[in-house]
Amino acid sequence: MFGKGLFQGLGITFKRMVGPNITEFYPEQKPVLPSRVRSSMGLQREKCICCNMCAMACPNGVIKLTGEKDEESKKRVLKSYHMDLGRCLFCGLCTEACPTKALTVTQEYENAVFEADDMKWDMIARAERKGKEG
Amino acid sequence: MQTLNNLFLIIAHFIRSLFADPQSVWANLTMDVINFIIVVVIIVLAALILILLERKVAGWTSMRTGPNRLGPRGWFQTIADALKLMGKEDVTPAGADKIIFKIAPMIIFSLPMMTLAVIPYGNHMAPIDLDLGIFYFLAVSAISTLAFLMAGWGSNNKYSLLGGMRAVAQMISYEIPLLFSLLGVIMITQSFNLGDIVKAQHTIPFIVLQPLAFVIYIIAGIAEVNRAPFDLVEADQEVVAGPFTEYTGLRWGLFFLGEYGNMTAVSALAATVFLGGWQGPFLPGWVWFWMKVGVIIFFMMWVRWTFPRIRVDHLMHLAWKVLLPLSILNIFLTGLGIFIYRLVMGG
Repeated sequence: MFGKGLFQGLGITFKRMVGPNITEFYPEQKPVLPSRVRSSMGLQREKCICCNMCAMACPNGVIKLTGEKDEESKKRVLKSYHMDLGRCLFCGLCTEACPTKALTVTQEYENAVFEADDMKWDMIARAERKGKEG
Repeated sequence: MQTLNNLFLIIAHFIRSLFADPQSVWANLTMDVINFIIVVVIIVLAALILILLERKVAGWTSMRTGPNRLGPRGWFQTIADALKLMGKEDVTPAGADKIIFKIAPMIIFSLPMMTLAVIPYGNHMAPIDLDLGIFYFLAVSAISTLAFLMAGWGSNNKYSLLGGMRAVAQMISYEIPLLFSLLGVIMITQSFNLGDIVKAQHTIPFIVLQPLAFVIYIIAGIAEVNRAPFDLVEADQEVVAGPFTEYTGLRWGLFFLGEYGNMTAVSALAATVFLGGWQGPFLPGWVWFWMKVGVIIFFMMWVRWTFPRIRVDHLMHLAWKVLLPLSILNIFLTGLGIFIYRLVMGG
């Protein structure tokens, strides 16, 4: 019949109008992330044995780390651990290479920064800050 | 209840009673100024609310929430937008016809002011009770065609001119079915006075007697105020913003005010002529009136966010080949109905 489609269209939009909306109120309500999201890196300093496997696994050369030998326990201790997040793919190869699971992929996603230099992360400082914040 | 119904009449009476002679020239002048201010406030408030409501409806139809940042649930958004508009630079294009360019938005804004002045907002509540109410309303609203053309021509911009020409073609075409659709009601009531038309709907609103005319009026009315699906005048994808392309700041804001004012005026006329105006049980008359206007405005928004824009040639076909014959048929049927009614009733 002539005009039937018009009423169908009106019906559909009305259903949408009274139905639920799918807007996420992002800063107030955090989205529920899928379990496999890889969006940030985390380091547990005491687990790290400075084997440099992560740096070697990284396809982009993101990771630079230095370690030194602790005289008392005769173990290598992490001295510095830097990641250039600007080049990181979050592919997770470094975490797979890590023998002690010191390096993990985490699900923090609010990583935006204003300066390019801010993307060079000092992982030790970040780990300490995170430890303080809880 | 009765007090609430006549609230504004009582206020008007009180203001008049402050004068030594309540019917003197000065009392009348004061009342006219107050009425004028009320109409302007209605237009500004309507624009403030409707712009936001439009965005909300747009959001709801696409499963969003619409503006949600400023104020409770985003209801102050338009105020911020209006303030932003005031802060904008007032640009006049170099090659523009300056006088026409500057007059056009003022004319657009003044038209809903003139048309809304004859609408009865309640019993005896028309700011100006004109005997030729409908006639005046249609005559004045026809001028907006000219204002669109002035804006299009004065801007010295090809898109503006195209939009202006489209406005002329569209609005003149749809004026005729709009006019004819109201003729049936005038034939029944034998009056151009909007107050009389509302009173004639005491038992039954004219939408029941004139359903075809109402449909034609709504379609032609949406086309008259250049809203989607008939928004060819300001079709963004084709002519940028039509006649508004070169306007900035407050002048552009005036266009917007005028547009939403016109929308309110067309809806108010529809509510007055077809839906029984301020007639209704329980609630005060002016509440009923604005509820009916609100329903029609909501319907216009609903249509806008449902249908895609109509093609230019289809636009003309719809006006001249469908709406015009239908409206003439409606006049014929109304005449026939009145004839039969008189035969039966022996009038």
